[in-house]
Formats: sequence, C-alpha cells, structure tokens
Amino acid sequence: MLSAIVGPFLTLILLGFAFGGAITHAPVAIVRESYGTVSTNFVATLRDQQNCAYGGVNCANAYNLIDVSDLGAAQLMLRRGDVKAVVYIPLGFDQSIGNSTVVTVYLDNTDPLSAAAISGLMTQAASQISAQVQISPPPDSIVTINLSNVYRDVLYIEFMAPGSLIQSIMFASIIGGGISILFDKQRGIIEGYLVTPLKQHEIVVGVLLAGVIKAMFSATTMLILAIIFAGVRPMTDVVGFILIFFTLFLTALGLISMMTAYAVRAPAPEVYQFTSFPINLILYFTSGAVYPLEGFPPWMRAMASINPEAYAIHALRVVMYKGAGLPAVIGDFAFLALFTGIMIALATAAFRRAL
Amino acid sequence: MAAAVQTLDITKRFGELTAVDKINLTIDSREIFGLIGPNGAGKTTLIRMLTTVLQPTDGTAKIAGFDIRHNQDEVRRNIGVVSQAMTLDVELTAWENMELYAKYYDVPAQTRKDRIKELLDVVGLGDRADFTVGSYSGGMKRRLELVRSLIHQPKVLFLDEPTTGLDPQARSAVWEYLQSLHSRQEITVVITTHYLDEAEALCDRVAIVDYGKLMALGTTTELKRKVMGGDIVEAEVGTLPNEALEALKNSKFALEVKKRENTLTVLVKSGAEAVPKIVELVNENGGKIHSITLREPTLDDVFLSFTGRSIREDTAVTKKRFVSSWQGMRR
Repeated sequence: MLSAIVGPFLTLILLGFAFGGAITHAPVAIVRESYGTVSTNFVATLRDQQNCAYGGVNCANAYNLIDVSDLGAAQLMLRRGDVKAVVYIPLGFDQSIGNSTVVTVYLDNTDPLSAAAISGLMTQAASQISAQVQISPPPDSIVTINLSNVYRDVLYIEFMAPGSLIQSIMFASIIGGGISILFDKQRGIIEGYLVTPLKQHEIVVGVLLAGVIKAMFSATTMLILAIIFAGVRPMTDVVGFILIFFTLFLTALGLISMMTAYAVRAPAPEVYQFTSFPINLILYFTSGAVYPLEGFPPWMRAMASINPEAYAIHALRVVMYKGAGLPAVIGDFAFLALFTGIMIALATAAFRRAL
Repeated sequence: MAAAVQTLDITKRFGELTAVDKINLTIDSREIFGLIGPNGAGKTTLIRMLTTVLQPTDGTAKIAGFDIRHNQDEVRRNIGVVSQAMTLDVELTAWENMELYAKYYDVPAQTRKDRIKELLDVVGLGDRADFTVGSYSGGMKRRLELVRSLIHQPKVLFLDEPTTGLDPQARSAVWEYLQSLHSRQEITVVITTHYLDEAEALCDRVAIVDYGKLMALGTTTELKRKVMGGDIVEAEVGTLPNEALEALKNSKFALEVKKRENTLTVLVKSGAEAVPKIVELVNENGGKIHSITLREPTLDDVFLSFTGRSIREDTAVTKKRFVSSWQGMRR
C-alpha cells in the first residue's frame, strides 16, 4: 500500500517542481568590446532583468551575467557547458547606432529549454532599449539581436536520452545488483561462498563486476535503441565513444556498489524492494534528465549537486551533442570517481563474511 | 590419533537465546561422527560455527589443528561443507558448479578436469555433467553438492542434514556413497541428522544434542547399553487396570514401566525371563494382552531417555518448543 502512495507522491513533487519552474540563474557570459551609451543601457537592462530590479511578474532571475574579456574564451566556456549563452557586443557597436547595430547571442541549443528562455529575454531587452533611444528619423530597431545557435538543433528526445541510459544502469543496479544478491542469499549461494577460502574483497569484487557487466549491457542496448527508435544522433568520434562508455562504466560501478551496500544491509528483502524504486525516482528527477537544472528550485539544485546521475548526464550530453573532449568532462569524472570510490568502500565494508 | 575436530566450551547466543551451550567434543580422525537432535536443538548452529560462517559468542574449536577464530583461512581450506540450504547455482551446469568451486579452492588447472570427471562419475552424474542443475532431481542435487564439497580433498567433511527431503532410494544412495568414500579416503565426516536410522547405519559415534547442550556421547551400542542395561518388552494391551500397572511397577524384574495409549513398555534385565511374568501379572489383575514382543533398544529409546521425549514427535516437539521459547525463551 505504502509504495502505491510513495511513488506517485515523489513523482508529483519532483516532476512538478522540475517542470513547473522557469529557468533561473542560467550562467550567461557577456563579452563587451564597445562602451558607448546604448550598449551601457542595454547591459544595464540585462542586469535589471537579472537582479529583478523592478520586481513584478516578469522578474524571473533567469540568468547570471558573467563578464568575460574576449569572445574566444567565452565561446570555449559555452562549449564546455560552463555557460548557457554568450552575449557579444562587438567593437564599433555604439558608433553605428541606427545603422545595423547587432548584438549576437550565441546559444547552447543542446539545452533547448534554457536556450528558448534566454533568447526570449534578450529579445525583450533589445526592444526595450530600441524604444528608449531618441533619434530621428527613428529606425525600425536600434538594437537587433542576432541569435546564433552554436550546435545543430538538439531535439527534446535527444536531450532526454542520456537520462534514459543512466536510468537503465540504475534499473540494472537495483535488479541485477541488489535483488540478485538477495536472491542468492535466500537460495543459499552466498552461504556456499562463505565456507570457501574466498576473501571478503574477492567476493565483493565478483558481485560488483557481475552487476557492472549487466548494467553496461543494458546501457549499451539502450543507446542502440535510442539511436534506432528515438532518432538520437550522437555527434562524436571514437574518442567521444570512449568517453561515453567510460562515463557509463563509472556510473554503473558507483550505482551497483551503492545498491549492493544497501541490499546486503537492508533489514529485509521487502524493505529493499519497496525503497529502491523511490530512490531511483529521486535520483532520476533531480538529475536534470528531463528538464535543465536551471529550471529547478534551489532545494532541488542542492540535491542535484550531490547526485551522481546529474554529473553522468551532464558528461554524456556534453560529449554526445557538443562533441566535447576530456577537458569538458573532467570535473564530472572527478565527482563520479569520488562517488564510486566511496561506494565501493562502503559495499566492501557492508558485506559480511558471515551469516 | 590426532583430533579432527575439538571444541572447547563452544557457545553461541542470539540475544537471550543460547543456541549452543558450552559444548566440548573431540572427534577423531577418520571417524564418521553423528550429531543427533530434534530441529532447533543447536546442531546447525554448531556446524555453522565449526565451518566459520558464524562466530562463536564464547569458547572456540580446532579443525584439523587450526583455530576457527584465528586461522579461518586454513580451516576453510581443510573442510568440505554440505549445508542444509541448497547452495548450487541452478543456472549453471554440474560441471560449471564443480569448476567454480575448484577455482575457489585453487585446485591446480591440470588436476581440475580429471578430478571433476572422477567425482561426477562416482555419484553417477558423469553423463549429466553438461545439464543445468535446475533440471536435476533432489537426489541428484544432493549428490552433486556432496562431490562439490570434496573437490579440494578436505580433511573434514561436514554434512548438515544431508538426506532431509530425499526419497528412500536417494537417501540410501547418499549413504552408500558416504560409506564408500570413507573406506577409500582419509577423511573425517561430521553429520547432523534427525533420522536415527541414518545415525545408526553410518556413524561410529554419536552425540545427542538438545537445547544447545551435549546430552550424551558414545557409540550407538554403548549408548544403548548405558541407558537401557537390558531389553525392552512391548505389549499391545486391550484393557489394563491400574492395579495391573501398579503390580508391574512394584515387581522386581521391571526396571521401568510406561504406558502410552494401548502400548505398554517395560524395561527389563532379561527379556526371555520377563515375558511370561508380565503376561501372568497382567492377567492376574484383570488385564488383557493382545500381543507381546521383545526387542533390543533402538537409538530412539536412547534419545527418549536422554531428552525425555521421542525424536519422532518432531512436529509436536517443534510446536511445544515454540510455546516454551515464547514463555521462557528457553532453547
């Protein structure tokens, strides 16, 4: 009965807050090469939007502006996923007012929801400035926003796909990891190991690797299915595929270890079965798998910051759709490696080499 | 002869429950040793401690000279275990099950194949070696577990209720194999059972365990003699007035008199002399005997006299135990 309530309730809360929230605090780099009146006003408008200076219904705190000195550096940040957009005010912008004055906004369109929110606000700010400027004859528009997509358009289903790969690993961890250990324990297979000279760590390594093989098999199958049936097109080379599989491997090892540690210490097999699926829901919905983290309320962002699935999904997206290399995902790998290390230690300690 | 198993005040408590209570036992090399007692007597707990899967609360034991607390690895290398639970992987074939355990015990690759083949052939599973264990009958599984526990040629073999749940044919196959194994190999066998015929047929010596305590120890013949010191006369009675029962109890030849429903059991020094006297006494006091038999005491009688109840009343005993363990946590 309880699980009939817990599951839907978690889905309501997590999915509701994830989808209900507007994009907030999305990092946006601003590169300014012109310092005249109009550009100053334009930047001030953007800052007002950011800070909600005038409050009101439009106050969204949608982005955080980060000053960057040159365009190359800003674009690198965009490629690495550090920022969601780059606002570029080129040299000579203020001098050419009324004469094709264009601000370029480079968008990370691999996150279609954030890109749409940011471009909307930029266009709004531009029309606000255009209305203020008094010159005659009044041109159609003083500040024109030129939206420039950095990548090919990524469909929402592609945005979601990395989350599904990670979820197939999580399912494999719950079933192939934890539940199969509980079954083996019930069937006496574990008791059989205990009378042999096998060492504790040998048994644990065997159990974990068996789980990892199952999880890697599911995730790989899931990737192939996503490519065939969901039209997912990973834009990557051999190095990228190595990075994808390394991400999947680290995640699988970490999640299997986590669920193994839990399964061997769960007070009863039923407790494990009832609780593992809510755990899956929490990790999945707070990972940014279905909606960008920028749309989350602060408490959910805090959860995402310690959620290994969030790091795995970020790494997969960066590699699959931006064709990024190791430097872009090294931070994700560091977190995943730390998480996995802790979980392996936990699983080894939790496994009792006795009945 | 060196002791294969020696326990020193070995004790296991689960909370307030004392499952094994200061048992001291010495089992010699090459013995087939039986631990008998009803379900819940502490036999399995004792075996689990001796096979290093449970830590004793107190006391210790030595297996083939190695301490079960401090030299677990050596103990494990010297023992083979067939536990009560089925520990085979039913998704693997018999050969794969054997091979896995051979690897767990570091059996060298060059001898592994020959040994697996030989062992499977001995228990008649050679031609089924490549079938998954899931397709095996209960008896076949037991035989496979038995030979799997011998893959590393252990010095001591522990068998926890090896024939429970098997049909009579499968049971006798297991017995036969155990006897032939014992005659061919230097091996000590420790077997727990609540089948007394099994203990009687296989064991050199038996220990009776109940409520976690060692109640009696010796060869089956010794135990019978020690307890009984005579023969047993059993009579089916039609009517038996109290006067007749009293007269029997007061007679000089009867050492012990018991009546249960229509069965009268009298323990006597010499059966041949006692039978006519019993018939006479009963008749004199207005009783009626349908039939009378003279028999040697069985291990069941021994068990009855040490534990105060028959091991055959197993289910009834278990029920009673539940009640008593609820009431007084005595077990």
